[in-house]
Amino acid sequence: MGDLRIEKLAIDYGARAVIQGLDLDVHDGEMVSLLGPSGAGKTTILKAVAGLLEPSGGNILIDGHSVRGVPPEKRNAVMVFQKPLLFPFMNVSQNIGFGLRMRGQAGGETARHVDHILALTRLEGLSRRKVHELSGGQQQRVALARALVLKPSILLLDEPLSNLDATLRQRMRELIQTIQSETRMTMLFVTHDQSEALMLSHRVALLLDGRLRQVGAPRQLFHHPADPEVARFFGGKNFFQGHIQNGMYHSDFGVFAVGPQDGNGHLRTATIRPEDIRIVPRRAESSGGLAGRIVKTNFEGSATRIVVACSAGELVVLTSQDGFLPGQEVEVTVPPDKLRLFPDA
Amino acid sequence: MTRSVRRMTGWIVMTAVGLPFGPLILWSFSERWFFPGLWPQAWGLRAWTYIASTAGMQVMAAIGHSVVVAAVTAAIAVAIGLPAGRALGLYTFKGKDLVSVILTLPIIVPPLCVAMGLHLWFIRLGLAETYAGVIGVHLTFCLPYAIFVLWGVFSNYNPEFEAQARSLGASRLAVITRVMLPMILPGLSVAALFAFLLSWSQYLSTLIIGGGRVTTLPVLLFALMGSGDRPVAAAVSLVFVAPAFVALLFSARYVGTRSLTGVH
Ligand SMILES: Nc1ncnc2c1ncn2[C@@H]1O[C@H](COP(=O)(O)OP(=O)(O)OP(=O)(O)O)[C@@H](O)[C@H]1O
Ligand SMILES: [Mg+2]
Repeated sequence: MGDLRIEKLAIDYGARAVIQGLDLDVHDGEMVSLLGPSGAGKTTILKAVAGLLEPSGGNILIDGHSVRGVPPEKRNAVMVFQKPLLFPFMNVSQNIGFGLRMRGQAGGETARHVDHILALTRLEGLSRRKVHELSGGQQQRVALARALVLKPSILLLDEPLSNLDATLRQRMRELIQTIQSETRMTMLFVTHDQSEALMLSHRVALLLDGRLRQVGAPRQLFHHPADPEVARFFGGKNFFQGHIQNGMYHSDFGVFAVGPQDGNGHLRTATIRPEDIRIVPRRAESSGGLAGRIVKTNFEGSATRIVVACSAGELVVLTSQDGFLPGQEVEVTVPPDKLRLFPDA
Repeated sequence: MTRSVRRMTGWIVMTAVGLPFGPLILWSFSERWFFPGLWPQAWGLRAWTYIASTAGMQVMAAIGHSVVVAAVTAAIAVAIGLPAGRALGLYTFKGKDLVSVILTLPIIVPPLCVAMGLHLWFIRLGLAETYAGVIGVHLTFCLPYAIFVLWGVFSNYNPEFEAQARSLGASRLAVITRVMLPMILPGLSVAALFAFLLSWSQYLSTLIIGGGRVTTLPVLLFALMGSGDRPVAAAVSLVFVAPAFVALLFSARYVGTRSLTGVH
């Protein structure tokens, strides 16, 4: 069993409210990412669930029971911090066995559990190492192993990969994913990296300014953001203003057929992802797109980011084609089916 | 630092520390040593036999008093210095600057003034000429040092280790004994060592508050020096610096500079 329910959680540091009215459910065996920019309050939420911080309001239930007033060591939720925080006076297996010893588990049994976790986290052979003799990635794995070995109802991970380089981070993500699917352990994973959240989790919860803006499957958040700010967080750059008239969206960037919609005549915001816009060099005969001139190009490897100035404003386009140059005259097309219309403000 | 530079520094330090000890050792083994001679004119074990047999009981008793006073002083200094250093190192609060000024006072003000000032109070409190009184006056010097060392230790201490330990199932008490104490052990040892040695070397304050009744080793040493027997005084001096020397070797070997900055 591993079930977490957060109800109307409110947390403040002194007079400053950091979290307000936050509701979140993490179901048994689920991996949920808590995604948000730096300073959004992600660590604060994890600490409250782990019992390291007293909320000012709301309730937290683990396996259906309120944990209000329950000290951290009695909660079946274990938190792994951003830094590995390995105890320097213990070797690797002593670090991993720390929690089991705190529970008063017998030495032989502890050793058996530790060996099993060492294998799971690919740390065999390092058990006698001193912690300062480990690489950053190894330290992070020991920190993970130290929590996994306790088999908590909920594992709370606070950006455990943020100090690693890109390759290592990718490997660790895969390791965490493998461990999660093998153990079916319920995990709440904090990150500020959207691709990490999208890749790792069953569901993503986006936290902006102390509030959950949208909770859902990775594809849902990415393709159907609830509001312009969610879209912006996932790299949305192009926002149109316009109104609906009989299934047509009349915007400053043109008129698009969007099918029947409610609220005829209402002002609505729409967005299109940079990679959904098509771009071609301008020719004599127009293909029916918007005319524009390239302001800037950024080569990003597999794609090139292009800023195009049209008469209605600038558009950001992401294309896999190379060869566009600043100053070049181009034509961009916005496919109406890729246009995402936000609900009425 | 290159090896040769490091070696040279080592020699300079050794010489500076060793220089006063040469004559002391020579004195303690001399029978007769008059001024122009670079060397004692007659060698002998008189001084050492004297402090081992004739004055043996006196010396042993003085060592005993010194050890007890210094150990109790160090224990109290660390016991109070630990929470105080933790509060100063980890938290910000109003009046923190004032605390640091007050702590430096006994270090800046001459010990004589402190001891004289306290003497009147201690007489009234019945602490004059008692062990408790002597330990009390030693604490006025040892406690600030202990607090300063532990303040430094906790300034570099990451309390998140404790939060992590709690989350892994450690109770409040276990966090102190199984996490905090092992983490700060090097710095804690230095603080205890400082306090012990500072108390061990107190003379004036012991004499004033103890009134000659609490005969620690320095008190005996000065009495013997007053008697004008140079070889005996030299031998007692050597006994007196022995623990400091052992402590120096110990700290150089085990703690080094790392201890003062704590562990991350
Ligand atoms: N002990 C504290 N006292 C006062 N304010 C705090 C404290 N800890 C955090 N804050 C503030 O609360 C807000 C949320 O902090 P938190 O550490 O939860 O952010 P985060 O989402 O984890 O950020 P990051 O991604 O940078 O780790 C921040 O604005 C921070 O400045
Ligand atoms: Mg954080």
